[in-house]
Amino acid sequence: MNLKFAIFKPMLKLAMERTGHGAALGFEITKVEKGEVELLFPYQVEVVGNPLTGVIHGGVIVSLLDTCCGSAAITILDSRVVTPTMDLRLDYMHPAEPFQPVYVSAKVYKHTANVIFCRGSAWQGDRDNPIAHCVATFMKVETSSISLSSVMTRQIKRLFRSKSAHLVKEDE
Amino acid sequence: MIESSASLQAKLANARALKDPQQLLDFIPYAAFIGAKAKVKDNSVIYCLDKRPSNIGNPSLPAVHGGVIGGFLELSASIEILYTAKVQAIPRVVDFSIDYLRPGRYRTIYASCEVLRQGRKLINVSVLAWQDNQSMPIATARCHFLIS
Repeated sequence: MNLKFAIFKPMLKLAMERTGHGAALGFEITKVEKGEVELLFPYQVEVVGNPLTGVIHGGVIVSLLDTCCGSAAITILDSRVVTPTMDLRLDYMHPAEPFQPVYVSAKVYKHTANVIFCRGSAWQGDRDNPIAHCVATFMKVETSSISLSSVMTRQIKRLFRSKSAHLVKEDE
Repeated sequence: MIESSASLQAKLANARALKDPQQLLDFIPYAAFIGAKAKVKDNSVIYCLDKRPSNIGNPSLPAVHGGVIGGFLELSASIEILYTAKVQAIPRVVDFSIDYLRPGRYRTIYASCEVLRQGRKLINVSVLAWQDNQSMPIATARCHFLIS
């Protein structure tokens, strides 16, 4: 393993597990390799979708697979590129068992100049009997368009626009 | 936490009688987890997802997590089935496909659903999500549910 990747793995873990929705879900990234990421999601009552059975909502599986596929997509790129999701398709093979953890794995199976193609699956007891399978595609976008400085510039412009709109209203 | 089937039937009857789909969302813990809401407008249901820190995917933009948008649209579709398609049990999702058209900015997301076909076993729902302007959707999704 090279040094760049050794730094990358904890950075990815930190970004995915400790911020925003990842922190709310409370999963743990268990494997990071070039083009392959795995994670573990412990059962949570907060995300139940069927209160009659205690089974977690399908939306959680969407989030987990989107995160896992997205992370796998990032691993094949250098740091100046971001990978927004273009689309994601999920097939639910059978309902999840309540009160059991969910394991998720994702692999990049092809990447071209502009697009990254990923496959992912989620399972509980038996890896060969997944609860869901997905395919997802990601765009390669140069970070400059959403870099911190351009985000700040946009924010200032927006603020200026709302200010001037306010002034026009006052003039009336 | 485990609810009885009778309480679901009571909630369904109540929500339809009072035209209040929010009662169905209140029944599902995941709806509270992401903060999904529903209200009736011009005889159709509008679903909203208010901004909250726990739904952020990319903190530097900030943008709403793609998975949250997906989960919200899947949830909206299942509520739409319970509320408008007169189905009596929580529908089981078979497949779900989402196309992301624009980034979900850190603002309220709205969604509307359309049942395209309802068979005896299977139901197909199409979902559209937008933020400021309905003619500029941020995502579109389609899904199949088993309803028998």
